[in-house]
Amino acid sequence: MKFIFLNIWRVLVRELHMMFARPLYLFASVGVMLLSTFFFLTLMKGGAAEKMPVAVVDLDQTSISRRLIHEMQATPSVDIRLVTNSYPEAREAMQQGKIYGIFVVPEGFYSNLVAFKRPQLDFYVTNAYTVGGNTAYKQMLTMTNLTSGAFQREVLRKKGLPDDVIMHRIQPLTIEGHMVANPWGNYSVYLVSTILPGILGLVCIMLTIFAIGFELKARTSHAWLRAAGGNYTVAMIGKLIPYTVIYIVLGIGCHLILYRFAGFPVYGSHARLMFGLLLYVMAMEALGITLIGLLPTLRDALSIGALYSMLGFSLSGFTYPQMAMLPPVKALSYLEPLRHYYLIYVNEALMAAPVENSIPNMLALTLFMLASLCVAPRLHRALVYWNYPLK
Amino acid sequence: MSEYKYPIVKSFVSELRRIFNDPGVLVIFIVATLAYPLIYKALYWNEQITNVPVAVVDMSNSPESRAFLHSWNASPDISLTYSCTSMAEAEQLLRNQKVHGIIYFPRDFERQLADPLGQAHISLYCDMSSFLYMKAVYLSCNQVMLESMRNIQIDRYEQMGMDKEFAWALVQDAPYHEVALFTPTGGYGSFLIPAVLMLILHQTLFFGICMLGGTAREENDETYTLASLVGRAGACFTIYYGLAAILLGFFPRLFDIPHTGAIDDILLLIVPYLLAVIFFSLCVSVFIRNRESGLVLLISTSLIFLFMAGISWPKEMIPDAWRYLSYAIPYTWGSHAFIHINSMGASLLHTQGFTASAAHEWVALWVLAVAYFLLACVLFHIRQRSIKK
Repeated sequence: MKFIFLNIWRVLVRELHMMFARPLYLFASVGVMLLSTFFFLTLMKGGAAEKMPVAVVDLDQTSISRRLIHEMQATPSVDIRLVTNSYPEAREAMQQGKIYGIFVVPEGFYSNLVAFKRPQLDFYVTNAYTVGGNTAYKQMLTMTNLTSGAFQREVLRKKGLPDDVIMHRIQPLTIEGHMVANPWGNYSVYLVSTILPGILGLVCIMLTIFAIGFELKARTSHAWLRAAGGNYTVAMIGKLIPYTVIYIVLGIGCHLILYRFAGFPVYGSHARLMFGLLLYVMAMEALGITLIGLLPTLRDALSIGALYSMLGFSLSGFTYPQMAMLPPVKALSYLEPLRHYYLIYVNEALMAAPVENSIPNMLALTLFMLASLCVAPRLHRALVYWNYPLK
Repeated sequence: MSEYKYPIVKSFVSELRRIFNDPGVLVIFIVATLAYPLIYKALYWNEQITNVPVAVVDMSNSPESRAFLHSWNASPDISLTYSCTSMAEAEQLLRNQKVHGIIYFPRDFERQLADPLGQAHISLYCDMSSFLYMKAVYLSCNQVMLESMRNIQIDRYEQMGMDKEFAWALVQDAPYHEVALFTPTGGYGSFLIPAVLMLILHQTLFFGICMLGGTAREENDETYTLASLVGRAGACFTIYYGLAAILLGFFPRLFDIPHTGAIDDILLLIVPYLLAVIFFSLCVSVFIRNRESGLVLLISTSLIFLFMAGISWPKEMIPDAWRYLSYAIPYTWGSHAFIHINSMGASLLHTQGFTASAAHEWVALWVLAVAYFLLACVLFHIRQRSIKK
């Protein structure tokens, strides 16, 4: 027993020497995390799309159309960059990506309005840029309803009705929208909460594959096993301890940055959310071991690891929900640890759900760790016999 | 002349040979480039999210609320799957992710509607765990609300003694017509896949070139002459021109992704895009010491390039510092140019009449290509000198 601890210690010391002899990868990993954190936290500072450029095609050119333009410009979500009397000109601006929506006030709008001839307001939005297009859409929809309401108010006023009575005639039904757990509809909170852990996972899987695969590439795996007294388990434990510590520190750092420093809300338990993140980073570490075990050639395992984990961002379902995926894709999504972390995040940070809801996902992440044990014989043989291409 | 031509041809051929003898690079260049678009297409196959489950809490239990729910349930976006007797019950369903929205009719809903001076409220709770849930639930409910509101208004105006015709005209005083341009389905894949195709080309090329550079350096098999610069760029360009034509020209047509652009415009766009990416990557590859180092760049830059370009998150909302930095990345110009041409019908060659031109981005890509070529010349020269020492 005493020898085992001694050997673990020897492997660990050897690993620390190797780490600091080639600090590039260590610094790169931490650097990637710092850069990504800085980038994503500064990218969407406001969190809501504001002042999206739109165009107004004013074919009416009356005081009422100018008032409409003026009122639209005063709203926070759109910015009228172009007022023109040519629809093709506006469409051209849209094709060049300069605007996200076109609002058309038809010729004779005012005169037809007062004559109750029901002039039609048209608006066009681009679907090729969804956030800009949606924001423009919502605002223009609101504008048409406000325009209609303003006119009704004028007519009713002329009929001698008091304003408060008019208000309820114009707006007899309202929807009170509640955005559960993200009342500001903050895009940054929504995206960064999953993207940053995703990048952290990517760093973990890559660094793990590298740490093990490099022993093969540099033909140092025999020395590694020797330090461990020829014991594979001891060799792995000793090697993985420093990395696991790094991942845990990065995980805790990531959690603190998101939920303390940046102030993203957590409606459930901080502890369970952070525990979920730590399980996730270790699941990614284990997945790295599984991959280098299955493909004991550094460059192949690294490429596959990168391609596999990049898909996690889509497969986790935080942008395009899993319920809309095809059944086989849906099944695949469970093979991405990020999917499980995302569900834990939804349960803990957003829904304040009971712990039972997160347990299946926590177990799934644990399964990733257990699965890495299955490749042990294969990886052990590779370390001993170099029976795979080393480069 | 021939003595200049010869080393270029030599390095062109030897680079091709190196690429085709390197399974790792081939996996990235060919397999990943062709497989990734298919994977993304499969992922976003359904484009739209439909039948988002919603819980109903109808405290008013009135014909009016039922009529509202009936017309809302007709929308393909949502599906009213649970009827709850209390808000607590519905919250429980949301918490367990059985539903992604809750609609609540208060007890006085019917009374407020019946009262000519009343204002009725509906509460709508949207799950924010994915913005697409919120969009589906909120927008479809809003549509139904506007529709029902008009009917109520007409009733009320009639009660005031207006004739029906006039009440109808007043409520519909300015009807609107909305048109979503460019992507017929308005789906998520139609929006994201064109941007992803450009990113796949950018990042596989970037990673592959760094990998080749790192390998050469590990094997002490480096030459950094002008001829090798041109030869290596030529080899990558030759392979990627075909791949890019398949990805950008053929793939959208085969898989029903928006493709309104002209094919010759796309073939023309590929030229400066690939050149800019290749010379950009060659500049970076000079600093790559190991075969694997490129991976660090790949994983750290992919999402940053995507977001910095201002496609998912609007470019107008990106802080200036990041935006200026993004101008130096070929992907920024390439992705927008491709979306403008492919998805929105802008053009390079056919700009007569009112078709918008994508020349702005195209020229920017040429500027980047030339700038990175010159920078690569300088970096190659410096590196060659340091090797000789």
